[in-house]
Amino acid sequence: MLAWFFSGAFLIGVVLFQPIPAVSAETTDTVCYECHGNMPGTLGEPVKLWRSSIHAENGISCHSCHGGDSKDMANAMSRDRGFLGVPKEKDIPAFCGRCHVGVLKDFKASAHGRALGKGGPTCVSCHGNHHVLKASLELINEKSCSRCHSYDRAKVIKTAMQDTEKLIVDIEGRIAAYKKIGADIDRLEKGLFAVRNHFHSLFHNVDVEKVKKEASQIQSDLKKLEETLAKMDRTQQRRKIAGVVTVAVALLAALLFHLLGKTFKHEKDV
Amino acid sequence: MENNSRRTFLGLCLGGLAVGAAASATYPLYRYLAPRQADTNAGKVVIPEKDVPLGEAKFFEFAGAAAVLVRTTKGELIALSAVCTHLGCIVQWEKDKQSFLCPCHAGYYTAEGTVISGPPPRPLPKLPVSVADGSITIG
Repeated sequence: MLAWFFSGAFLIGVVLFQPIPAVSAETTDTVCYECHGNMPGTLGEPVKLWRSSIHAENGISCHSCHGGDSKDMANAMSRDRGFLGVPKEKDIPAFCGRCHVGVLKDFKASAHGRALGKGGPTCVSCHGNHHVLKASLELINEKSCSRCHSYDRAKVIKTAMQDTEKLIVDIEGRIAAYKKIGADIDRLEKGLFAVRNHFHSLFHNVDVEKVKKEASQIQSDLKKLEETLAKMDRTQQRRKIAGVVTVAVALLAALLFHLLGKTFKHEKDV
Repeated sequence: MENNSRRTFLGLCLGGLAVGAAASATYPLYRYLAPRQADTNAGKVVIPEKDVPLGEAKFFEFAGAAAVLVRTTKGELIALSAVCTHLGCIVQWEKDKQSFLCPCHAGYYTAEGTVISGPPPRPLPKLPVSVADGSITIG
């Protein structure tokens, strides 16, 4: 009997505490992954890099960018099935911009975008190609920017954006904490995504004045999210107090029952 | 005698606790079931008719979130939530195509909010619209 109990508890524990895989089975259940996942050298390297990318984290697989038929091995790389292969350097922004349309527009309007095909950077210069990095201020750094030009101007932009980024990261952490306890944070999550996306679109606009101007608007949007979180914090605090009061009342009731029981016992003894 | 008065006192204390516990358990239930207080101004936005010409869209804030009012080329007025149902970015109106585009991940919606292509899982939620005396009321 005890063995059944322990094995049951073990199974529940295994199910509940199983780590969530970084890459979902749905994302890797493709013929691209089947072949290239085991290939050595340059043909297999993209898969290894992709596994820890923001794309893999969000279920964006090989065929999402490169096209083709991810379910049919024979025709996986057929042009008739929409296979695009590897884009030429000058075509990279348009390649990524099929999904990231807003970013493409910002990039094209920026100094970086205007230098496309003339030695300027493309999306992969900063974000990587298969190991695609999430847009963050960390991407603006001396080592990366100095590959093409001086870091001075980029540093000014980064400094102007630092406070807002800190606020975003802080709000993101607070939302994640609420998500862990099962709170309804869908609206907050979407709100933060929209604001963060607006903010990150400034990364491509290398105009310092515009960055400063827009950052203040973004900060006011973030304040609204902070207010909602503060309201949730207050509710949480009240719940904690209510919990403490409930436990105290239960203990008090137990004590009173005990004393009441003693009066009957005392009478019986007498 | 002494026991009786002690019992009465303890009984009263326990009764008080029981009433308090019952009230604390009932109040949240009452709050959940009771209808919300109607705020006549909340959730209503009035826009002058002239502000939305044919084929144009006007963005505004509705109940704390972005919303949009469109007058299609056929003259129909449609109010929608402007929050993309994919990850929550604010959609943009593409006048030349008479459709909405989410700039984050290329989600396309018709002027009625129906998904044309891209990752959005659901249409843009519709908002009630009424027109009277040259004013459009949303909500």
